Amino acid sequence: MFLNPWSLALSLCSLVVLVLGVVAGRTAVRVLRFWEPGSDSNRQIRLENEIWLSSTLIAYGLGFQIITLILFVLAADEFCQVIVGAMCATGALLANPYGMPALLVKLVGVFFYGFWILIHQLDIRSEQYPLVRPKYLVLLLLLPLLLLDVTLQTLYIAGIKPDIITSCCAVVFSESNGATTNLLSGYSQQGLLLAFLGSMFGLAVLGVGLLRRWHPWLAGLYAAGWLWFFGLSLVVITTVISSYVYAMPYHKCPFCLLKPDYHYFGFALYGVLISATFFGASAAFAGLVRGRAGLAGVVARYQRLAVQLSLVLLVIFSGLSFYHYLKYLISGGEG
Amino acid sequence: MTAMAQSNLEKQLNILDYALSSLWRRRLKSLSVLLVFAAVIFLLASFQMVTKALSDKAKQVLVHTPEITLQKMSVGRQEAIPLAYRDRLAGIFGIRRVVPRIWGYYFDEVRLANYTVMGMAVEEMPEGGRLDTALVGGKMPGPDGQGRVVIGQAIKKAMALEGRTTFSLFRPDLSLKPFEVSGEFSSDTDILTNDLIVMSLADARDLFAIPAGLVTDLCVYVANPQEIGTIAKKISEALPSVRVLTRPQIQKTYQVVFGWRSGFGSICLLTALAAFVILAWDKASGLSPEERREIAILKVLGWQTSDILVVRFWESVLVSGLACMVGMTAAYIHVVYFSASLFRPVLMGWSVLRPDLHLLPRLAAGDILLTLAFTVIPYLAATVIPAWRSATVPADSALGG
Amino acid sequence: MLIELSGVSKIYNQGRANEVRALSDIDLTVEQGSMVCLKGPSGSGKSTLLAIIGCIFPPTSGKAAIAERQLARLPDRFLTLHRRETIGFIFQRFNILPELTVLENITLPLLPLGVPPKERRQRAQELLARFAISHRAQFPAGQISGGELQRVAIARALINNQTIILADEPTAHLDTALSREFMEIMRQLKEAGKTIVIASHDPLVFEHPAIDRTVTIQDGRIHVS
Repeated sequence: MFLNPWSLALSLCSLVVLVLGVVAGRTAVRVLRFWEPGSDSNRQIRLENEIWLSSTLIAYGLGFQIITLILFVLAADEFCQVIVGAMCATGALLANPYGMPALLVKLVGVFFYGFWILIHQLDIRSEQYPLVRPKYLVLLLLLPLLLLDVTLQTLYIAGIKPDIITSCCAVVFSESNGATTNLLSGYSQQGLLLAFLGSMFGLAVLGVGLLRRWHPWLAGLYAAGWLWFFGLSLVVITTVISSYVYAMPYHKCPFCLLKPDYHYFGFALYGVLISATFFGASAAFAGLVRGRAGLAGVVARYQRLAVQLSLVLLVIFSGLSFYHYLKYLISGGEG
Repeated sequence: MTAMAQSNLEKQLNILDYALSSLWRRRLKSLSVLLVFAAVIFLLASFQMVTKALSDKAKQVLVHTPEITLQKMSVGRQEAIPLAYRDRLAGIFGIRRVVPRIWGYYFDEVRLANYTVMGMAVEEMPEGGRLDTALVGGKMPGPDGQGRVVIGQAIKKAMALEGRTTFSLFRPDLSLKPFEVSGEFSSDTDILTNDLIVMSLADARDLFAIPAGLVTDLCVYVANPQEIGTIAKKISEALPSVRVLTRPQIQKTYQVVFGWRSGFGSICLLTALAAFVILAWDKASGLSPEERREIAILKVLGWQTSDILVVRFWESVLVSGLACMVGMTAAYIHVVYFSASLFRPVLMGWSVLRPDLHLLPRLAAGDILLTLAFTVIPYLAATVIPAWRSATVPADSALGG
Repeated sequence: MLIELSGVSKIYNQGRANEVRALSDIDLTVEQGSMVCLKGPSGSGKSTLLAIIGCIFPPTSGKAAIAERQLARLPDRFLTLHRRETIGFIFQRFNILPELTVLENITLPLLPLGVPPKERRQRAQELLARFAISHRAQFPAGQISGGELQRVAIARALINNQTIILADEPTAHLDTALSREFMEIMRQLKEAGKTIVIASHDPLVFEHPAIDRTVTIQDGRIHVS
């Protein structure tokens, strides 16, 4: 269903992001082929200038990717109005097999851009620019990711079949039995909440421990913990928290949180979660390059900062997650 | 750490300040880009607001239609449906009422306009009593008819009925049937009632010379809206040659039609956008000797390439932001106070009688984001490379005048 | 030694058909608190040498240490960071931005450092007072006299308390009176402890008593006279 403003906007933005990505990729190839630190040739000077181009493109890319992610969810919300059986964005995304993968790839893209910007910022703080080659090798991975993103998105939009009136004599419809409103089922709420709380507590302990004394293996554990917590949170938000926000026990949808009806609560929730996960995981990730020339001090400082930020964001996230739940428990009903 | 954050913030503010001054110093160029950008945003935003307002209005009004409508199909076209089919639906659980309806188009040769004539058994409709609230004055025609009708605003104007309450229409055999106006639809419902004449079932049968025992369609009212799908399926099993239309389907169809009309219009406007993007690229790319000198001087004075990139970034953001505010405000005024006069032909269809709509677009943040995605994102992307080119002017070109 | 160059060469367009050897084998030292004049005709490589001393670009080969920082092949980012702390530039034709006010021109180097507006104004006012042009603070720089412009350019070079002042043909477009005034200010700065390097082929400059040493450059090499 391309003839629709949301589909057009998504396709346009994807095109823009792809073009920027190709230009960045071109820089990556040139840098990998011709980079000669210490040389005074025109080409080296041009390459040093192009580093600024690629970093700017990636910075813009991050901004655009975040916007496309939001746009995609909002578009799914619009599509649900014309699809049989879809009551909200969840239903729309499940309408064909490309919706959810497209969303996940976009999310991965946001993290990818974030990590690249991190490596870049670390790299330029050392006089030797030690991470140039690895940085641009990684950048080459961006293009396949973007292509995958655009392909999945296009297949998804193309696969949306709006339910309009046909002229045949007897119409057959699929029964809307509410099956598509529930993304995940079969998990016990109590068990999930326990795991959720336990993970939060564990992360807090690990984080504080890291700030006291840094061990690389502890940092790795912390990062792994955050990745686990990210997945767990998404499940918990969908199956537990969302229904308290909507005050409807059978509406378990992770996307309606983003709507104005709920004061755009989802943006705060997901924004904090994604940032916290990024900082938590990147602390260990940055440690990978600690040994490179000139980076020891910079990386150490960043690692501390990242852990501190992730802990602060964790506290904020727990406050946000439990707000509606506690409000319900305390005021005993729709508050 | 916070000291660093604070000095970073100060730096951004300083550079923002410089970007403002830079835009002002080149105000002719900045203003021309700004105005064209605002015009493009104005077009796109108006279009979007109109579509949104219309489809919201349609949604509102469609709430009162029957849950299921039955039409008899023969060789792919609609035929009159026998009233007797009502009996075959008797066994289906969940149906509240089945109300017959006769409707059709009446072509007025004098005024060259099509009127929609609808004969309804108002007293049989579940919400029939409330229909009077849709009227400006008067009441809906009762079953005994006697030529009493309720008309839409455009009909009233077309027949110049100020002061008069009677008019006549031709039957198929060219005999005249007199009518008396017993009520008018209020302009709030214009989107559905503008060219509508509502009369009793008997009057409509008489006007269109439809044989007894046949009607145009059967309106099925259902007790529980969740059951529409199931009941529709049962009906189609009981009456195989009948087309079963559900309200959700009608709503979705309207939505899709508005959607693709809007999409179609958006594509046309995209050409305007493309032209603007090319203009933006061109304006941003041209570096005059003064501009090159300025950047070289800044670099010698200690500004980094990244700092200059930030200047350009803020310049783009300021221009986009201002253009958005101007364009969207103008669009809002256009839609609300001027009834979107530029776009109505595209969206309102082909009929001669067009409603005088008062549109009130509801702007959610998502819609604003949509407009931004169409306009600001391509603009920012178009200015990245020119911005970089300007930021990489070498510092030593400032030396050796 | 504040400035130490040994075996410095600079080649533009290295390896290509239009290769140009701007500097060959330059050895130069400048003591702290001294004033040196680089003398030579245009095209001799003066500007290139000044650019290297000024941390605008590094040499192609050789060693350059400015204010205890080895410059050899640093990325531009770090050159700029070092430059804005240590070096103040005075250009030929002053290179002021005419549409900005005098105050804005002087405080340009402070913007990317994140110096807040109040502090910027304060520092600028001090310098304006020192050079007796406080009354011109809010004037667009394009509307002030040549002599005042000269002082604005010098003030801008001092705004960040830089220790080294570099001047590229500062008197090329000035009359005798203003040239003398310029050298007088330079003398005062030298007495205040600044290290000054002036590239000029104006006799008014290199014959000035305040100049400690004159270095002659021709065809990219230093001529010992």
